Amino acid sequence: MKSFWPIFKRELFAFWVTPLAWVLGCVFLVVQGLHFSVLVKSFAEMSSVESDQTPIQAFFGNTVLLYLVLFLLVPPMTMRLFAEERRAGTIESLMTAPVAAPAVVLAKYTAALVTYAAMWAPTVLYVVILQRSGFVDWHVVGASYLGVMFVGAGYLALGLLMSAITKSQFIALVLTALVLLVLFILGIGEFVTRDGTMLHDICSYVSVWAQMNDFASGVVDSRRLIWDGTLVLLPLFLTTRVVDSWRWT
Amino acid sequence: MSNLSDRPSHLSVYIPPVISVSRLVKRYGDLLAVDGLSFEVGAGEVVGFLGPNGAGKSTTLRILAGFLGQTSGTVSVCGHDVAADSLEARRQIGYMPEAVPLYPEMRVVEYLAFRAELKNVARAKRAKAVDAAMEKAGVADRATSLIGKLSKGYRQRVGLADALVSSPPLLILDEPTAGLDPNQIRDVRKLLRELGKEHTVLLSTHILSEVESTCSRALVIAKGKLVAQGTIAELRKLRRSPALVIVVRGDAPKAEATLAELEVFSKIAVEADGEIATLRCAWKKKADAAENTERAVAALVAAGLAIRSAAPEQSTLEDVFAELTSSESRDRSEVAT
Repeated sequence: MKSFWPIFKRELFAFWVTPLAWVLGCVFLVVQGLHFSVLVKSFAEMSSVESDQTPIQAFFGNTVLLYLVLFLLVPPMTMRLFAEERRAGTIESLMTAPVAAPAVVLAKYTAALVTYAAMWAPTVLYVVILQRSGFVDWHVVGASYLGVMFVGAGYLALGLLMSAITKSQFIALVLTALVLLVLFILGIGEFVTRDGTMLHDICSYVSVWAQMNDFASGVVDSRRLIWDGTLVLLPLFLTTRVVDSWRWT
Repeated sequence: MSNLSDRPSHLSVYIPPVISVSRLVKRYGDLLAVDGLSFEVGAGEVVGFLGPNGAGKSTTLRILAGFLGQTSGTVSVCGHDVAADSLEARRQIGYMPEAVPLYPEMRVVEYLAFRAELKNVARAKRAKAVDAAMEKAGVADRATSLIGKLSKGYRQRVGLADALVSSPPLLILDEPTAGLDPNQIRDVRKLLRELGKEHTVLLSTHILSEVESTCSRALVIAKGKLVAQGTIAELRKLRRSPALVIVVRGDAPKAEATLAELEVFSKIAVEADGEIATLRCAWKKKADAAENTERAVAALVAAGLAIRSAAPEQSTLEDVFAELTSSESRDRSEVAT
């Protein structure tokens, strides 16, 4: 695990020294800023506060916008991680240094996760703005960010796995987008399957929509966290196996 | 070549070879890339790994460097098995891959610092190790350049600096002069000779003269098999010109008959174009090329023919391989079984 730190630093460097993270970060913040201002405006124009929703809840939960943002953000973030190293051949220098496959995988993953967190960080300002003109329940804010981080963590892990199974960044991007789409559609299944059937239970269990609604209301359900944890650990484990398998191709 | 059974008993001091490869086989699906390769490289040797493209050189080096796993056979580096004790084996090696892959977005000094940390160079020694490696490889003047903006020659040197940065006992360099211009090739060869004083070096190439100019010993492989190994002097003998090419003006049949009388040529091929004839005279096995070239020219002149040119036919690596793999040449050098 000694090699975790240098690889982690280099991956962060690669994110932030190339335009990639900055471009994605800008687009992300523009979309989130618009989203936020539209929400605040509509709340402000309500003649009476009859809604049981707060702007925070509406920002993180009960919206497809959050999901869309992740759908657009995660694939380009992870596509490069392994695919580009294999295309350019730098994977050969990397894997012939005294490094263990789990350290390489974890280092790349953590760098992506930290970058992802850094993109979300400026959105805390929105909450601060809200607080200046009203009451903000920081527990709900905490739960919401926890949800956002957990959902993103799973998606990034899936993206990392997709990047490891192909030498083409573009194919990695498309595969990641496809997998995320399938997950989303499974979640939507909650609304089209009959209540009480097993399929309905499964769909509502994996639904990112339902999860963010829960978290944005301050409900942190451990079953959701187990599902998210599975989405992190399983792809990371598989990625490690894929990296090991390159020796035998 | 020693094998396991002639190793001295554990009571005497035994220094393991730096590289020990035994019955190495690598298969890619149906393709047999390396076919029962065995060799050893001792400490301090500079060994050239010679073979045509596709002979299995890169595959063997990649297995040695820990990038690929072998199908069967054992490979160890400084006594560490590359499969069972992979990390420790990799710590002994400075490896430069064939295409010298580098991260284009990093500066030379940043990249080397990253590589030094990755290779467990202690923090306190890192800056010094990076400086020393850049100095040795001749990239100190480009320390703050972006790697993506460097020329091919400099990229090659950055690759070398990377291999050197942890001062490993063994350097494995895959075609270190590929793609360089003649000046750069000369520089790299000079550097390799310098490095040979401090490190054990295994380098691959398909250029025979490269081995002659830098290595103390050569391993020749073809189709994944070791076909010969020997010192450079032994290799030079193999490089003997296979034929003498003489261009004469005059009576071609007469020239052919004159040359045949010398009884040093195994075969004479004549190609006549008007009164100019080109004779390709293949040497007999034991004939001395220098002395008999003089005799042949003298005989032709005496026979009244005008000589336009007489030159040895250049032997190519392929000729050497052809000779090495033919059964008569097995006594020339130690041939692996």
